[in-house]
Amino acid sequence: MSYTSLILKILDGAGASFIIFFTTLLFSLPLGILIMFARMSKVKPLSAVTRFIISILRGTPLMLQLIVWFFGPYYIFGLKLNYSWRIVSIILGFSINYAAYFAEIYRSGLISIPISQYEAATVLGYTKSQTFIKIIFPQMVKRVLPAVTNEIITLIKDTSLAFVVAYAEMFTIAKQVAAKETTIVPLFIAGLFYYIFNYIVAFAMERIEKAFDYYR
Amino acid sequence: MSLFEIKNCKKTFNGQKVLDDISFKINEGEVLAIIGSSGSGKTTLLRICTFLECMDDGEMWYLDNQVVSSSSGRAKYIGQDDLSLDSLNKNKELVKIKSYFGLVFQSFNLFPHWTVLKNVMDAPISVQKRNPNEVKERAMYFLKKMGLEDKANNYPCELSGGQQQRVAIARALCLEPKIIYFDEPTSALDPELTSEILKVIKELAKEKRTMVIVTHEMNFARDVADRVIFMNDGVVVEEGNAYDLITNPKKERTKRFLQKYNE
Repeated sequence: MSYTSLILKILDGAGASFIIFFTTLLFSLPLGILIMFARMSKVKPLSAVTRFIISILRGTPLMLQLIVWFFGPYYIFGLKLNYSWRIVSIILGFSINYAAYFAEIYRSGLISIPISQYEAATVLGYTKSQTFIKIIFPQMVKRVLPAVTNEIITLIKDTSLAFVVAYAEMFTIAKQVAAKETTIVPLFIAGLFYYIFNYIVAFAMERIEKAFDYYR
Repeated sequence: MSLFEIKNCKKTFNGQKVLDDISFKINEGEVLAIIGSSGSGKTTLLRICTFLECMDDGEMWYLDNQVVSSSSGRAKYIGQDDLSLDSLNKNKELVKIKSYFGLVFQSFNLFPHWTVLKNVMDAPISVQKRNPNEVKERAMYFLKKMGLEDKANNYPCELSGGQQQRVAIARALCLEPKIIYFDEPTSALDPELTSEILKVIKELAKEKRTMVIVTHEMNFARDVADRVIFMNDGVVVEEGNAYDLITNPKKERTKRFLQKYNE
């Protein structure tokens, strides 16, 4: 196989990996906020259940979670699902797992904001939702950016876990080609792609962090 | 006319009495200074007046509105059944009352992600729903008064402590409150910046603004305040004309406290 067709093949897989990456971010970033609110809720049963769910999501391998999402509906409920369930289950598994992590990151940002900010807002007459949206949330975003960047970089590499439900993402394809051609070059090319992609993400996140540098 | 009155205010934290039977009034145009050693309950009292803390028992009025009444030994806040801080924060009845006063904190508490101008303008627009153009004009007027018109587009982190505190004062003024509370407004500042803030407060006193100032600056209290309350261990030990009380206290405890400042 020529290098060009090799690279093209791996790029194909990169597209599949990118779909997981992008959709996971799209869903998990906002979902994390909801989970954070549930976790911090004053309604005890809600916060207790959320805590338990977060502990499961963080305490078991993502690989296992992907298997459960993919095979669960059939083995537990006897549902027959069509081919597209594969990608749907992957996106669900990734998004919910990452949302749990993001929720905890957001929570750390939220509790790091001094109580005096809330008090100033209360005295000025802001409602609770105004206080959160206008005053607390923007400051929270700045504080959590470095931790979120870390998670996003991990996510890029974690997309390779989708192989467990036989989804042809970049690393799976690289492995297949490597086995077929008996060379490890495809794996290195895949590694290089992961690195380049991560480099771009880190660069973009650094720019975003810089954009928040106007205040301390 | 009395703008504010508190009667028999009691507050306990974890079984420890912090305020015991505090009563006082604030008349329009009056400057009231609250002095006393640390831990005497001054800040807690101010926090109760500004709804940052609930009182356990007592009564409170803002103008003609009775905000807190006493029923069978417990405070009852208008429009709420329990005495939790959380309900106090959500209390819709208090929103209008909150517009009667402003509070200047010891540590300024500006919003760091907003410019000076936005810090001053935002609450009048998004809380009081006033016209943005009118608010901007007022905000610039107050910033100019504070000598900060050229800092309108700066962020709080670019300002000195004294400048930040002046922004906080402009922020309180822009809501056009009837009373401004100051919680040790100079405690976080060095002597030079302190005099800068005291000068501003003196100017406000000249305009006959109603102010309540918790302070450790005795000379300032003597010169600027009309009335002084001296607190110790959660009770009002002595209350009276500012000049008389500070230069010639009657009570032994007040004498001892003021002596420390003259040493």
